Amino acid sequence: MSRIELFRTATFRLTLMVAGAMVAAMLAQFLLLYMQMTHFEARRSEAMLHREAEILARQPAARLEYLIQHRATDDLRIVINDIGLFDADGHYIVGDLQLIPDGLKPDHVVRQITVRAPEDEPYAMRFLAVPVDQGRILVLGRSLHMLGELEVMTRRAMWLSIVPTVAFALLMGVVLSHRALSRVKTMHEAIDRIMGGDLHERLPVARERDDLERLAGSVNRMLDRLEHLLDEIRNVGNDIAHDLRTPLTRVRVRLERALTTSTDIDTLREGIARAGDDLDQCFSVITALLRIGEIENGRRRAGFGTVDLCQIAADIVDLYEPIAETKAIGLHLVVPAVPVWAHGDRDLLVELYANLIDNAIKFTPDAGTVKLVVRVTATGPESSVVDTGIGIAESERVAVLSRFYRSDKSRHVPGSGLGLSLVSAIAALHGATLSIDAGDGRAASPGTRFRVSFPEMPRPVVRH
Amino acid sequence: MYGAMTDQVAASTPEPQPGPRVLFIEDDERIADEISDDLRARSFVVRHEATGTAGLAAAQAETFDVMIVDRMLPQMDGLTVIETLRSQQVTTPVLVLSALSAVDDRVSGLRAGGDDYLTKPFAMEELAARLEALLRRPNDTRATMLRVGPLEIDLIERAVTRDGRPIELLPREFRLLEYMVRRPDRVLTRTMLLEEVWNYRFIPQTNLVDVHIGKLRRKVDAPGEPALIQSIRGVGFMFHVPD
Repeated sequence: MSRIELFRTATFRLTLMVAGAMVAAMLAQFLLLYMQMTHFEARRSEAMLHREAEILARQPAARLEYLIQHRATDDLRIVINDIGLFDADGHYIVGDLQLIPDGLKPDHVVRQITVRAPEDEPYAMRFLAVPVDQGRILVLGRSLHMLGELEVMTRRAMWLSIVPTVAFALLMGVVLSHRALSRVKTMHEAIDRIMGGDLHERLPVARERDDLERLAGSVNRMLDRLEHLLDEIRNVGNDIAHDLRTPLTRVRVRLERALTTSTDIDTLREGIARAGDDLDQCFSVITALLRIGEIENGRRRAGFGTVDLCQIAADIVDLYEPIAETKAIGLHLVVPAVPVWAHGDRDLLVELYANLIDNAIKFTPDAGTVKLVVRVTATGPESSVVDTGIGIAESERVAVLSRFYRSDKSRHVPGSGLGLSLVSAIAALHGATLSIDAGDGRAASPGTRFRVSFPEMPRPVVRH
Repeated sequence: MYGAMTDQVAASTPEPQPGPRVLFIEDDERIADEISDDLRARSFVVRHEATGTAGLAAAQAETFDVMIVDRMLPQMDGLTVIETLRSQQVTTPVLVLSALSAVDDRVSGLRAGGDDYLTKPFAMEELAARLEALLRRPNDTRATMLRVGPLEIDLIERAVTRDGRPIELLPREFRLLEYMVRRPDRVLTRTMLLEEVWNYRFIPQTNLVDVHIGKLRRKVDAPGEPALIQSIRGVGFMFHVPD
């Protein structure tokens, strides 16, 4: 991995940001410290000036002059850097200050004034002027050098603490990003292998439950799901191939036989017509598959409206009655006297009921009964198709809804094997749930109940 | 189902007379050739166009008895062609062909001005029967009494007699018989019956229509009587009064 790559990692950037924030916090701390110190020092100088001025002002005039003259040998000079005595008119009497600084008045107020001595650079000092005996004015000054020293000290301490902190943060950033990069690199390699077609490969997940690990875990779960779906598709593909191969083989055989054995035009026609019927069966499988796909994609909502489930059920029973009669099966309609409204697509619901009834009749032995029940429950409209047929074992109830599933008991019954998949796709599109349990039959033929529970209508529909 | 259109139709259409003119707009050349040949064999006069724009131009330039329009066409799609023609007051009946089977697609095809909708793949017999249906309007007389051959149907009393013998029919059987009697000598496919008599648009797994027709036939054609309801193998049924 290149150096640039290292500095581009999220970890490195994060470290930089943290280091930046730390430096900012330290700067603020030092600034606060410096301000506190200068404030303290200013208060201290003021107090000192006032105290000295008070002591000196109490001295008699001659003593005061003496003290000022000999200040250089006195410990007074440590506290007071400049001193001057002036008469009432501001004329110089004694001291190292030759002039009263501009703007200074004998009013006991400490002022910071920049002094412009003729031979020196201008410099700032704190001055205090007080009136003393004989109308004279005593001026005391204290330099700001302590403040300057404080500033230098603070600045030095600041650099001493910030530079190592930043250096350490950068070093940590490099180390951590290097670690992150190597983890990401192993994931990249795993992903490359998956993209290369190895769908069983997974991202490495260790025991640290950090964000990267959790992400890897999510990706792995997604891969599990995708692999499962791909397997399903592969299986469906195989099932389709098998289901189409049988009728196609028959078509081939019939055409071949018609070609080689037909002696007259009628036998030839007959053979070709039968081949055509077999091809139709292939088409019906393909059509059913396409329809299921279409319905599962949920694109068909244009036909949705308010429908009366009782009316649809009655129509379907009317359509299937003759078929039931041929098997001496009693086809009963059990509906309330009032309409049961649902939000749905009439054509699709017809198809749903038709498939369920068709199925029920197919799997119910002669002289059995099939019931189509529509009722309103607390959770919404519900309809069920109950038969007295061979029944579906509990273990098989989920599987029957999958594509091409044919229970061993029903191998001999013709059909595309897609009817129930279609039913469950239509139910799903309507937000309805499809459940299967035992019907009304006796132990030998327990029968089956397919229940379709619709959601409550979104809002009451007023009809007249 | 293929080529099984038997002698009834051949007998009812005398040879040389030029048949109905069909404009057929379809972009798949191989399908178009097959279908055109088959339609010509059924004495249709076929003009084939491969694109939407060419088809539209042909429909505007000439008059046809019926049109077959594929939904998906290069340059201009089939529904646009139909809409354009309808906006120009061209009322030629149109059969829409489509590989899309959803009811939504069907509805949009019919809304655009199509008169019927057929999903690929289909049997030629189905196509021919539907063209026939578009060409010949049903005998929608205002009469309250239909008399065809030995049959007499009272539309108000919902009573049917054959040579004076009363026939008891269930409401659904009556509807089916009325539909067939109004379209005599015409091939009616199972899908057509299911769509128009019952208003259902699904392909049943069982031979539903055959069972219904069987029930009706046993009531209408008593033993020894000539059959009025005839099966046409692999195609459908026909109501036909023997001479």
